Amino acid sequence: MSKLTEKLVNTKPGKSVFLLGNEAIARGAIEAGIGVASTYPGTPSSEIGDTLFTLSQFFDYYFEYSTNEKVALEVAATAAISNVRSLVCMKHVGLNVAADPFMTLAYVGVNGGMIIVSADDPFAHSSQNEQDNRNYARFAGIPMLEPSNPQEAKDFVKIGMEVSEKTKEPVILRTTTRVNHMSSKVILGEVIPHSKPHFEKNLKRYVTVPSVARIRHKVLLENLEKAKEISEEIAINRIIGSGDNKFGIITSGISINYVLDAFHMLKINNVDVLALGMTYPLPENKITDFLSSHEKVLIVEELEPFIEDQVKRIAFDKNIDVKIYGKYDNILPRLYEFDANIVSKAIEKAFNVSGSHIDFEKRRKISEKLASLIPPRPPVLCPGCPHRGTYFAIKQAVKKKNVKPIYSTDIGCYTLGIQDPMNIGDLLLCMGSSIGTASGFSATFNKLEKEKKKIFALIGDSTFFHTGIPGMVNAIYNRHAVTFVVMDNLSTAMTGHQPHPGIKIDTPKKKTKPIKIEDVVNGVGADYVKVVNPFIISQTTKAFEEAIEKEGLSVVIAKGECALTADRRKRKEGKKIIPFEIDYEKCTLCRVCVDEVGCPAIMWLDNKPVISPLLCDGCSVCAQACPEHAIRRGKQ
Amino acid sequence: MIEELNIAFIGVGGTGVITAAQIIAEAALKEGYNAVQGEIHGLAQRGGSVLCEVRIGSKVYGPIIPTGRTDIIVSLEPIEVGRIAHKIKDDGIVIMNTYKILPPIVSEGKAEYPDVDKIKEIISELTQNIYSLDAYEIAKKAGFVQAMNIAMIGALLALEELPIKRETVEEIIKSRFRKETHESNIKALELGYNKMKDLLKNQK
Repeated sequence: MSKLTEKLVNTKPGKSVFLLGNEAIARGAIEAGIGVASTYPGTPSSEIGDTLFTLSQFFDYYFEYSTNEKVALEVAATAAISNVRSLVCMKHVGLNVAADPFMTLAYVGVNGGMIIVSADDPFAHSSQNEQDNRNYARFAGIPMLEPSNPQEAKDFVKIGMEVSEKTKEPVILRTTTRVNHMSSKVILGEVIPHSKPHFEKNLKRYVTVPSVARIRHKVLLENLEKAKEISEEIAINRIIGSGDNKFGIITSGISINYVLDAFHMLKINNVDVLALGMTYPLPENKITDFLSSHEKVLIVEELEPFIEDQVKRIAFDKNIDVKIYGKYDNILPRLYEFDANIVSKAIEKAFNVSGSHIDFEKRRKISEKLASLIPPRPPVLCPGCPHRGTYFAIKQAVKKKNVKPIYSTDIGCYTLGIQDPMNIGDLLLCMGSSIGTASGFSATFNKLEKEKKKIFALIGDSTFFHTGIPGMVNAIYNRHAVTFVVMDNLSTAMTGHQPHPGIKIDTPKKKTKPIKIEDVVNGVGADYVKVVNPFIISQTTKAFEEAIEKEGLSVVIAKGECALTADRRKRKEGKKIIPFEIDYEKCTLCRVCVDEVGCPAIMWLDNKPVISPLLCDGCSVCAQACPEHAIRRGKQ
Repeated sequence: MIEELNIAFIGVGGTGVITAAQIIAEAALKEGYNAVQGEIHGLAQRGGSVLCEVRIGSKVYGPIIPTGRTDIIVSLEPIEVGRIAHKIKDDGIVIMNTYKILPPIVSEGKAEYPDVDKIKEIISELTQNIYSLDAYEIAKKAGFVQAMNIAMIGALLALEELPIKRETVEEIIKSRFRKETHESNIKALELGYNKMKDLLKNQK
């Protein structure tokens, strides 16, 4: 048992533990008596599922890593329909995948409480967009809570379950990266057991044919009315401050912290804060009172003017004389995430106060000067990553066959192939899109224009199962000439090494039946299928040379263990990682290792390549690529 | 009682940046302080730039250190400090590891690794308190190059500004890492601590 697991299992209620926001959410679900939990991992939500997976060995509930978010939501929804509390968690774009069942679940409603965690990512730290999923609460018409720190993250799961059961609707727990990945002290509570499953046939509620949909839409609006009453009374919609100041701020989620940090920085204490823990539906009367009792109100929220639009609507309807500041006057930006500096500047501007004694202009200039000197260090494929071998081989094959490649890429570590020197990746939309967009390139160029391009679709193992399969079936059926590269590193690596349907993770409580990617590919009738080891460059290159020549869908499955999981495994097995070194007597300084392999462990220092023993993972790809055979395994 | 003490750890993914921050946050809690830790992870497992911030005290709320309020920057790689140096408070402290890790773009010849003295010179517009040590060499001396981050923690602990006892960190090291590495990690901690004490003494 890890130290964290031990703490989460054995700490007595009332005592505190230092927890990541995501770990706190998992603990909150257990305290709330969930019976079923599911997820598809996605940063910044991933540790919620991982913690629930680990703790499922010690508490009485069922957990699964589902194939994708749609399935995960369907699994958890059915539990809640069957009177058992459930939680499903995903990153913001995951809710797009799950949007179909999500929208109609609002019509059907739940019986046991259900929490849908949407982990949003302002600034798109690890995402393809920064969409504001608060809009999904309004879109579907269901309640939403927004915690501001790990303690609230835990507590709001419990509160959310109660809101869910009172309104008979699932509740969105909307977090942002900074809440998910913030650690602080969390006081634990009692764990309650899950309720008894119960499902009673009710065609007029559970089978959403059109006539039922029309009945349920009305029920949904009635449930929303109940939620509005709750929002007025709920303690998590609270005022910080005396309440009788001239100026006020309405805010929620992580921004509450930035407001409080800003007050400390500006040394002011004469601004009231209406801190909202429940942001849909909004407490209309509470907001009316707050607006009526303040001269100026600043709305502090990241991304879309979600609260601001509604607050302005309330001010208009109630004819309240108050000046409201926010996004439309550009006091706060609609882009990226906030920090205390952005918020303190907005406070200074809106309320005409000053208190910050920091010379931002000087610091901006220093920052610019430094940025002009310091080269970027973006995320790259790790030393020892199997994808490096795959990409190196693709480039060799493309060169040899003299074809014009176009690369549809996908979401996972292998997206990092866009970096030099690989420079592989031309189009990316979302999870599983590579094979669909490759079919699009095939339709647009090879079918329409007869302009021959060699189209590659790159996909990871987990993404293949997530949403890659329908695109593959489409490509085969519609005879698209595509080389589909499945980069199987035996893990959902980028999100922290979760399993996927290809990986066996049997526990004493749960059995799995892994599915082989090659069986799926062969089963649907791909025109060419080869499984290769990307750590063997010659074999992998040859497979690509063959695949390029084939008509229809050719599939190369490059199967090699993720460097990080391999390292962990080797450490456990007591095996040493032996770094490679350069034989300078053979090295001709041809630069292939740095210019074509591009491993961060190989540096060009003092006019020669140097392998860092701190970073080298001993994978041997550079040694195979070296035309002079000047790279060899070190002694040890 | 500390109201606000902000420490930023920056370096290259895979060299123990987040671990170092976690150890300090855990130690602060053990010593009875409030602590908040923030980081961005999920991408950049190894090789990318990683920033992790620890905030200690009774008046800290959000996980992001505001600009101009970073008390201490611990940079596990010489140039990484430059990405956040503008956030340091006037006369704040920088502890810089001199062990260079070249970004791939530099090795490919598409960018230059800057002169570290030039970086220091620019930072000195905000603070003169920049201390450099070779944590890689220290860790190597301790018998475990992977203890480079621990050597940096040792240096950090030598600062009077940080109210954390070395024994507290030693306990955490013992509970966190594999037994075979305890001795070399604790040695690296000690050597880093001593090195920093020397640097501080020489400055006076």
